[in-house]
Amino acid sequence: MNEIRSISAKQVGRDVPRLESRQKVTGRAEYTHNITLPGMLYAKLCRSTVAHGRILSIDVSAARDLPGVHAVYTGETIRTLIAEPYFGPAFHDQPILAIGKVHFVGEPIAVVLAADPYVAAEAAQMIVAEYEELPAVFDEVEAMTSAAIVHETLKPAGTFADLKHLSGKSNTNVALDYQLRRGDTDAAFAAAEHVFEHEFHTQQVMHTPLEPMVSIAEPGDNCLTIYTASQSPSFVCTEIARLFGWRENQVRVKVPYLGGGFGAKLYIKLEALVAAAAMLARRPVKLSLTMEEQFYTITKHASTFRIKSAVNKDGRITARRCEIFWNGGAFADIGPRVTQKSGFTSPGPYDIDNVSVDSYALYTNRPPAGALRGFGIPQLVWAYESHTDLLARGIGMDAVEFRRRNLLREGRPQATGTLMHDAAIIEVLDKTAELMNWTAPFERGEGVIRRGRAIAIGFKAVVAPTTSGAIVNLSADGSAALYMSTVDMGQGSDTAMAQIVAETLGLVAERVKVVHPDTDVTPYDMATLGSRSTFHMGNAVKLASLHALEQLGAMAREVGLPEGTNYEIRDIFLKKYGMQAGNIIGVGSYVPPYTSPQKGTGLSDNVTPFWMVGAAGVELSVDTETGHVTIDRLINVADVGRPLNPAIVATQLSGAAMMQLGFTLFENMDLDHGQVTNASLADYKIPGMHDLPTVMDNVIVDNNQQNGPYGAKGVGETATFGVSPAIANAIEDAVGVRLTSLPLTPESVLRGIRALRGEKLEG
Amino acid sequence: MKFDGGFTVPAEREIVFARLNDPHFFASCLDGVSELVEVDPTHFTARLATRIAYIKFNFAISVEIAEIVAPSRVVAKSEGTPLGIVGRLTALATADLQASVAEDGSAQTEVTYEIDVSLAGKLGSIGQPVLRSKAREMERSFVEKLHAAFATAPDGTVQEIVS
Amino acid sequence: MRGFEFLRPGTLNEASALLATGDAAARPFAGGTGLMLMMKTGVFSPSRLVCLRQTEAEHRAITPTGDGGARIGALASLSQIEHDPLLCRLAPVIARTMTTLANVRVRNVARIGGTLAHGDPHMDMPPTLAALRASVVTSGTASRTVPVEALYAGYYETILQPGELISAVLLPDQTGWHSVYLKCTTRSADDWPALGVAVSVRMDGTTITDSRVIISAATEKLTRVAAAEAVLNGATAGLAAFTAAGEAARAVETIEDARGSAAYKTELVGVYVRRALQQATGAGGN
Repeated sequence: MNEIRSISAKQVGRDVPRLESRQKVTGRAEYTHNITLPGMLYAKLCRSTVAHGRILSIDVSAARDLPGVHAVYTGETIRTLIAEPYFGPAFHDQPILAIGKVHFVGEPIAVVLAADPYVAAEAAQMIVAEYEELPAVFDEVEAMTSAAIVHETLKPAGTFADLKHLSGKSNTNVALDYQLRRGDTDAAFAAAEHVFEHEFHTQQVMHTPLEPMVSIAEPGDNCLTIYTASQSPSFVCTEIARLFGWRENQVRVKVPYLGGGFGAKLYIKLEALVAAAAMLARRPVKLSLTMEEQFYTITKHASTFRIKSAVNKDGRITARRCEIFWNGGAFADIGPRVTQKSGFTSPGPYDIDNVSVDSYALYTNRPPAGALRGFGIPQLVWAYESHTDLLARGIGMDAVEFRRRNLLREGRPQATGTLMHDAAIIEVLDKTAELMNWTAPFERGEGVIRRGRAIAIGFKAVVAPTTSGAIVNLSADGSAALYMSTVDMGQGSDTAMAQIVAETLGLVAERVKVVHPDTDVTPYDMATLGSRSTFHMGNAVKLASLHALEQLGAMAREVGLPEGTNYEIRDIFLKKYGMQAGNIIGVGSYVPPYTSPQKGTGLSDNVTPFWMVGAAGVELSVDTETGHVTIDRLINVADVGRPLNPAIVATQLSGAAMMQLGFTLFENMDLDHGQVTNASLADYKIPGMHDLPTVMDNVIVDNNQQNGPYGAKGVGETATFGVSPAIANAIEDAVGVRLTSLPLTPESVLRGIRALRGEKLEG
Repeated sequence: MKFDGGFTVPAEREIVFARLNDPHFFASCLDGVSELVEVDPTHFTARLATRIAYIKFNFAISVEIAEIVAPSRVVAKSEGTPLGIVGRLTALATADLQASVAEDGSAQTEVTYEIDVSLAGKLGSIGQPVLRSKAREMERSFVEKLHAAFATAPDGTVQEIVS
Repeated sequence: MRGFEFLRPGTLNEASALLATGDAAARPFAGGTGLMLMMKTGVFSPSRLVCLRQTEAEHRAITPTGDGGARIGALASLSQIEHDPLLCRLAPVIARTMTTLANVRVRNVARIGGTLAHGDPHMDMPPTLAALRASVVTSGTASRTVPVEALYAGYYETILQPGELISAVLLPDQTGWHSVYLKCTTRSADDWPALGVAVSVRMDGTTITDSRVIISAATEKLTRVAAAEAVLNGATAGLAAFTAAGEAARAVETIEDARGSAAYKTELVGVYVRRALQQATGAGGN
């Protein structure tokens, strides 16, 4: 079918239904789990049963002898193929299979390959490993001074531009210590009217994508094709090529749809293992993790945050000191980026002259932690917005008014010194207060049910500097295809990017084809993470579309059409080639300007290309006999710039808020001597439909991100920011109980209520 | 998983201590322990077979007496491997014995114990709720059998002081 | 994967015979919703599964008994029970409980016999049926009738002998009785309960003439709380009696797990027993 150009495109800002929705609801969408290849072997892993130990022996003979087993490999086997089989985005600290030492319960120590996955699974249980146990450390604060050292030496990866400064330290568990110093905090504290200090904790939780991680490697002649459920195909390609000492063009990485990612499928996870196993076996190898195994693969950082503020008599915050300890688990993964990028926003979206931040990425003997929908920001907002409410309470000022007095305004310097632009912080606060009807009296409940309400606001800087590339192919019939490496993992990026192509070229978004990541075909993209795609890839897609448009204009001039012709695209092609032939390739690449923070002070005049701002307003009821909390109303207010697709933005906001609601109220990885003891959906609970707040509103404030594509910016994480502290603040408002550790369980609420009465629960 | 408790034994501390340090006596108070082998005076191996409903678990166990402070304290470290599945059971058990005098003036011993058991591997990650209840059951049965063993002593009864 | 036999006998007696082998790893298979989870996680590897679904049709039937009660075949699915007009009339608490029991896909497959015989103390139907004074009839060489509350020996343990299968559930006449089941979760709404409380109260005017108070999930096995019933029987329905019954129920031994400490669950027992009684009778406020 020929494409009709619409003069007034109106493709952006329209609720275009998701391009793949029909495929998904009819079960036709392509997922890595559905791929089988001729001659394919299934891999199953044997995992460490000690948290920290030297491997004395691994006996694989019984597993190897089981009929149907093709091969069993250990770290030593991998070494025959790759001399230094360690990978990771920040440090090369993660072995493909354990070598010499294990660092956490669940670390892969051997892999079994068999044509039947059940045979492989049974054989994996027959492997016998012996360890010399070493002292282990599990707590992030203890890791600062612990005698137990998780990694004897650290090897910085040097891959990402923003992590070039990492330097390895020996005999410490500190992977990165980030500092920010601005003004004179000591003097400000000495002169302060009021000083408040609190400590907050978050627990280790898991991303729980309902499609568990899965990767397949298919060996070729000095080349490999990898099919993987990954959020970062370009990085997988680079990292596999590095491990094998190959050129990037010897590795092809293909990614279809993902059944959720949330940061779990970032960088490199199973790909190195299936690649090595496939090269050793000379057969395609598939590894599909079980839900249980995901708990050993990547998690969200547990954290401890010590925060201290000085407040003057006018209710202005004059100084803030932040000390944050991130429990990174056994491998750094992207923890150093969490530590730094989140670290510099840890004073919150407040205008504070004197700031000091120390943020530590720590190794422990827990399952590794990485990025989870917010890159550490939800842990920070939890602490600083709980703290902010306590400050307002402490000086007897209204919580909204106190924030309004202290929030950063347009053009004011953030803690790093970067001037704030296009961040609708005040607007988000005011909109939240307005929707909450904040100045009106509030129904506080009676009898055993007590009601409370509160707000919280947070912000995030998008990771910088990062690069995205895109190709737009305009065919002779006027149809367009977009080639990009942004991964649609459910967030709707295919649809949003198609809208940008359609808007720029005057097409209909529903008819733009989006070609999924394939490193042989689609250009480089840093990764689908951190709410960066709409802005970075969106800009690249817009540039590629403009490039195509420019060529189309040149073609029209060449065939003698006047400027601004209303000839259809296919007619211009027809005039040029005399038949339906040819195509136009538009290319675009985008990397925003950036100034690296100074070592020591952490200061930068351009630390990020854009800010995300999100607030939550909560009204809740507490059952004072059981501690149960019912969220009566949750309002999510966000600055997303101009929404490309308001309906998808709303689902991103509600999805993010619900995910954070689970992390706030009940999700928790129970650990016993390093073993996760609730590694199944029966025992690790995530929110379901019945956990939705009674009322939930998702609201976008009017704003324009001037450097964003059609005024847009990222949205995937924004609604996670305020949920946890708003709930904790509202619980205090309802029953006077201040909780400082997540999750906010009914039991902890009830214990708090009893403690206020000077009573204890028996036992 | 941590368990603690205590009980009072109507016997002198030295006698109670000696019996608790006899591996054969100790093992006889535990359900499902067989094939006890004394490697040396502080190291033992055994087999532990247990069953929850229709699911059987078998462990090869090794025990090390890590600390003996006669007649007041024994610390034992145990490690077990489940048969047929990758996993690891570890337990650190501490028993403290304190001499006291009963109301009738006779010597008695207050025993307090603390056991920290952990299980790694598939059983630890998924079977935890089930195994926790089994461990409690074993703990209860152990205390009962100890009671019974001392209660058969000619004079007096055994009273539990903490549960 | 170790193989196992999958047998499909045509009668329940045949099934009993196939299971009476002395091999604990030979198990009956009805809906399979509990067993399959254990098998998929590798916790349980059966040697033999005996499928009960091809047995006589009477085991799937729900029929009235002459005395105002009902007989539910052990292989009736939970959905069938949920929507059965006779049961909805006789004991509406069953249909109400079903709406928060797992999900519709599980209820379509799970069978009442398996639900009772699985022995998992977190299930919702055993306490509900125990409060309704239901009993189970077993097949096999020595058929017997056992009250539901007497079926459990421990955590995942029943008194059923190898080869002994539940063939039916007998529900007595409920005239004059009022029943409620309350499920208390402490994490997500669809979590296993931290506590299940089922109560039934028989009233003569405002006087309680008989009662059942059943606790599950917070305890190692389903527990009938005679002390709470003793407080209720003969008392006037109202807050005082219900609070006292809740206090009495706190004496049950609760167990700690990821859903809460033992002390917290004891608090919940007191509150939920009182609330269940309030809801069942409409007395004593809410």
